[in-house]
Amino acid sequence: MPFEVVSGSQAAAIAVQRVGVDLVAAYPITPQTAIVETLANYDAKGELGCDFVSVESEYSALACCNGAAAAGARVFTATASHGLAYMHEMIHWCSGARLPIVMVNVNRAIGAPWCLDPDQGDSLSQRDTGWMQIYCSGAQEVFDTVLQAYRLSEELLLPCMVVFDGFYISHTYEAVDIPDKEQVSKFIGPSNFKAQVVPGEPGNIQGIIPGEIQHQLVKKRSETMMFAPSLFEELNKSFEKIFGRCYRAVEVVAPIGAKTAIFTAGATAETVRWCLPKMEGTAMIQLRMFRPFPAEQIRSIIEKNNFERIVVIDRNCSVGVGGILAQELKAALYGMSKLPAVHDLILAGGIDLTGEMLGQMVEESDGNVKTGYKWGDELL
Amino acid sequence: MPPVMINQDKGYSFGNEPISVNKTGEWRFLTPKKIKKLSPCSQGCLLDGEIPDWMEAVKKEEWAEAWNIMKRNNPFPALTGYVCFHPCSENCNRGQLDQELDIQAVEKKIGLWRLNNYKHETEPCSFKGRVAVVGSGPAGLSCAFYLTEAGYEVTVYEKSDLIGGMLALGIPEYRLPRKVLEQELQLLKNKGIIFITNSALGSDYSLADLYSKYDQVFVATGAWVARKALIPGEENKGVWNALELLSAYNRSKIPDLKNPVVVVGGGNAAVDSARSALRLPGVNQVSLVYRRGRIEMPADQSEVEAAEKEGVELIFNATPRKIETDQNQLSEIIFDYSKTNLNGLIIDCNKSFKKECKTVIMAVGQNADLSVLGLLDEAKTFIAGGDMISGPATVADAIRAGRIAAETIKSFLEGLPGPLDDPKEEVPILFEELNLAARLNMQPLKKQVDPVSEAGRCLGCGTCNSCGICYLFCPDLAVDNVGGRYEFNLDYCKGCGICVKECPARALVMEGGSE
Amino acid sequence: MKIEEMNRENEMIYSGHSACPGCGAALAVRFLTKTLGPNLAIALTASCWSIIAGVPPLTALKCPILHCPFPSAGSVGSGLRRGLNAKGMLDTTVVVLAGDGGTFDIGLQALSGAAQRNEDYIFVCYDNEAYMNTGMQTSSATPFGARTNTAPYPLFKEGQKKDIVQIMAAHSIPYAATATVAFPEDMENKFKFAKELKGFRFIHILSPCPPGWGTESSDTIELSRLAVSSGAFPLFEVKYGMEWRMTTPLEDKRTPLGDYLGIQRRFKDIDSERLKILQEEVNYEWELLQDKVRRSEILK
Repeated sequence: MPFEVVSGSQAAAIAVQRVGVDLVAAYPITPQTAIVETLANYDAKGELGCDFVSVESEYSALACCNGAAAAGARVFTATASHGLAYMHEMIHWCSGARLPIVMVNVNRAIGAPWCLDPDQGDSLSQRDTGWMQIYCSGAQEVFDTVLQAYRLSEELLLPCMVVFDGFYISHTYEAVDIPDKEQVSKFIGPSNFKAQVVPGEPGNIQGIIPGEIQHQLVKKRSETMMFAPSLFEELNKSFEKIFGRCYRAVEVVAPIGAKTAIFTAGATAETVRWCLPKMEGTAMIQLRMFRPFPAEQIRSIIEKNNFERIVVIDRNCSVGVGGILAQELKAALYGMSKLPAVHDLILAGGIDLTGEMLGQMVEESDGNVKTGYKWGDELL
Repeated sequence: MPPVMINQDKGYSFGNEPISVNKTGEWRFLTPKKIKKLSPCSQGCLLDGEIPDWMEAVKKEEWAEAWNIMKRNNPFPALTGYVCFHPCSENCNRGQLDQELDIQAVEKKIGLWRLNNYKHETEPCSFKGRVAVVGSGPAGLSCAFYLTEAGYEVTVYEKSDLIGGMLALGIPEYRLPRKVLEQELQLLKNKGIIFITNSALGSDYSLADLYSKYDQVFVATGAWVARKALIPGEENKGVWNALELLSAYNRSKIPDLKNPVVVVGGGNAAVDSARSALRLPGVNQVSLVYRRGRIEMPADQSEVEAAEKEGVELIFNATPRKIETDQNQLSEIIFDYSKTNLNGLIIDCNKSFKKECKTVIMAVGQNADLSVLGLLDEAKTFIAGGDMISGPATVADAIRAGRIAAETIKSFLEGLPGPLDDPKEEVPILFEELNLAARLNMQPLKKQVDPVSEAGRCLGCGTCNSCGICYLFCPDLAVDNVGGRYEFNLDYCKGCGICVKECPARALVMEGGSE
Repeated sequence: MKIEEMNRENEMIYSGHSACPGCGAALAVRFLTKTLGPNLAIALTASCWSIIAGVPPLTALKCPILHCPFPSAGSVGSGLRRGLNAKGMLDTTVVVLAGDGGTFDIGLQALSGAAQRNEDYIFVCYDNEAYMNTGMQTSSATPFGARTNTAPYPLFKEGQKKDIVQIMAAHSIPYAATATVAFPEDMENKFKFAKELKGFRFIHILSPCPPGWGTESSDTIELSRLAVSSGAFPLFEVKYGMEWRMTTPLEDKRTPLGDYLGIQRRFKDIDSERLKILQEEVNYEWELLQDKVRRSEILK
């Protein structure tokens, strides 16, 4: 297997090139820029093999993907932060339209004021739009996840967001195993999902419907998305056969006897992974799939390992409530007979997670505090 | 692996069923309806012809349909196509756009089409009764035609050896080809009409004789008695009366006329005589003298123009006073200046002139010979019509009289209410009322030689002529194109009224109620 | 479009759609689909036609209609065109259909972007001069002096109507044109001409709205005609932003603007001063347009 040293953004772009899409709609935004630039370079060399369109806004990027996907084309776009927020209407729409669009979002804080650091609030705040969301903790994961996202999306006819942190992943160079196109094609072939727009066939596609029908469609969409975790596992079995790697919707690293688990998603998981050996009795739960929320898997992990405390690292904040992952986790644990305490470390603004912060947080959580949250700056 | 989820399997977001299951006609408050308004041509037509209707059929080259519409009012379009002086075209609205329609040319074409395509018309299947028609002029033939169509056995009596009356004897061949008349008569014979010639009412049989054999009688013996000018010299050799001359001419018995010729009179018989005279050998100088002005001439103006073109000298405002003879031969005719005012004709005997002539043709009018009727039996009702009743009029007038007579006889025998002679009080559609803006790309177009193209110029004033504008502008596609004719589809018509507003011919109205 | 050859079967629209009686937009789309169909795909932004098209599983057209969000028409059209190309359907004509809101206002960015990229489709704006689907609110296509539900009595729309064709011409697109339902053949010619071109084509159709304008439903064609003859909505075309050409022979005999406004209740209380301003605006725009036409002729 050829290893290359690439950034997370490059890994995403290369994956798109390897998958072989029909259309890339691009609009630049820091820190996603490298993705579209890499794809543009492929295009310049004639190696992209698809339509590359530089649109005039993120909204149009996704709208363009919408149009093309409706015609049966495999599409890609990438954005970040304000770009994602600007897309919001289209994000909802593409899910309702059941279009298998794959989009990369590189986390960045949303203003005001302007801030470029990797707050995850941009993508987490799109949690109710009906997209699958998968958070990656490194460049290899980014590459692999993009491949898998297309399979997931096209099987379920639901769009999928592949998310990773700005700078920590997007701009950090790592050695990544990059298979060639032929190898990739063993996992994912050309798209063959049914086009919605078929010339010559009438179709009132996404035309207005009464609430009762919308109700049924939302129900169906929701039920369909619930298949994602198990489908993801199935896909990874075949992925492993080809590439020798596999992923889970929820990863767990649990030393025997650990009572405390750190629960996080994205680049912070990588930090935690590196710190774990120094933190005796501490486990890590890495949330990869955020939508659908794999509540069953999380509960069974907690039950199986008898975790008593969960420390959530939230590089985001839903103002007025707290960290979003913590809220989601607490909701998932509702009704458990042995309920662990949940402590939340809020790193809103995308501030860095250090080993010291982590150690201090876990230590404090070991006390009698039942549940609560702490702001990152209190630990500095 | 879970099954592939295709959300579209229920079709909620892939609508492909026609929305036409929604009957949007239920929204309607007002409903468009085809109507028929009077067109200027129909108003002008002596036969009440439904001209826009048969124009429409000709436009589509549906000749049988054109004939079917035509014969409702005019059974002899070939004849009228030649001899009618087409007042229909006078107020043709198209004239205000480019040039009036040549309606008569299209009418003639329908007539000729019929002559060539209806050799053997179907025999009437029912026998409702016997009717005798006295006189085989246009009135008699028309009456016979309609009665035969209605299922009666008709016998036509003719005094002369030739059938056709004025058509055969009064109208010169150059105006009505003999062949056309013969074909027309042949069709009537094929229809089962019995013709008895050389049999004159009054001398060969009486009305009473007819009543003994027939259920009803129509008398239309015309107006064949020439009026006299009552001037000295009128009885001299070399003075002809117009009908005498025309029948001789039509029988190809070339009358010996001496040059120069003066025709006195201003009617069609005068003009026909003048034009006929000019066609005779040795005649090259023909003058027509009329006592009033040109525009007061009863003759068809196009005939007058044709005469003038052929070289007939026209003299107006002159009344004959005396015909002079020199050595047993006409020498000159003296005229007094005359003109009309409100009180009638004023003759100024102080202003006179002489006109040299060797032949004079008197065409100052004809009367009917009512003596043929004999003593009328008051118990018997008979119907009479044509020139006999109206005085000398046009062929079209006579055909109309025959048609009305047939309707009257039919209702009389069948005990139905008689036909109403409806006076045309309705005001015809004016040019300004037509919505020509809706007629897309309407370019001025002058008269066309081809009758179908000419019919295509018809604006269809007041009558749906299937222009399709209602179809074109319907936002709801609620007008159906049924073989080139347009019908409202009330399942979908929302009653917006665009079709009515845009109808170029003004042949639509909105009516209250949803149906 | 020969009338005698047109019938229910060869039209692309179905009866039974939900347009109001006398709807200009329904008629415009009837002509559009008839001329550009049957190999046609439409991206349709939020507008009256979102409703007219019907509730699935029903549909009002015999071609695919891809509904899309309000601001997105220009870009969804781009994607649709490129997606169809990717699937090998190069012969399909793609039309983006938008109302004046989806064109002049919320859709302008995506429209401008697509025009600048010279995307290969026909953008058709049916302009009923306000947000009619939501009940007659002011848009930037509403003419000066008109009353709307966001400019109720004694207010009226301030500021003149945006000159969208000039904006589009400034993008130097291959073709931009105006059309109305009163001149179907002119409209047909423009669609046909546009269909044969590659690149971005823009057609602006004035679409009288009986309930919104306060007109008789039967007046739709007449209004379109008066709009053209008065010069309020001249019929013309622009090629590559350079060649301006009038397409109706009405240049010299314009009818008074009052005839056009007089039958619309939205202009019911227009005072003489405002009417004068509006007439002057129309005159000015007219002269500007004629000037462009003259210059184009010289350039030839």
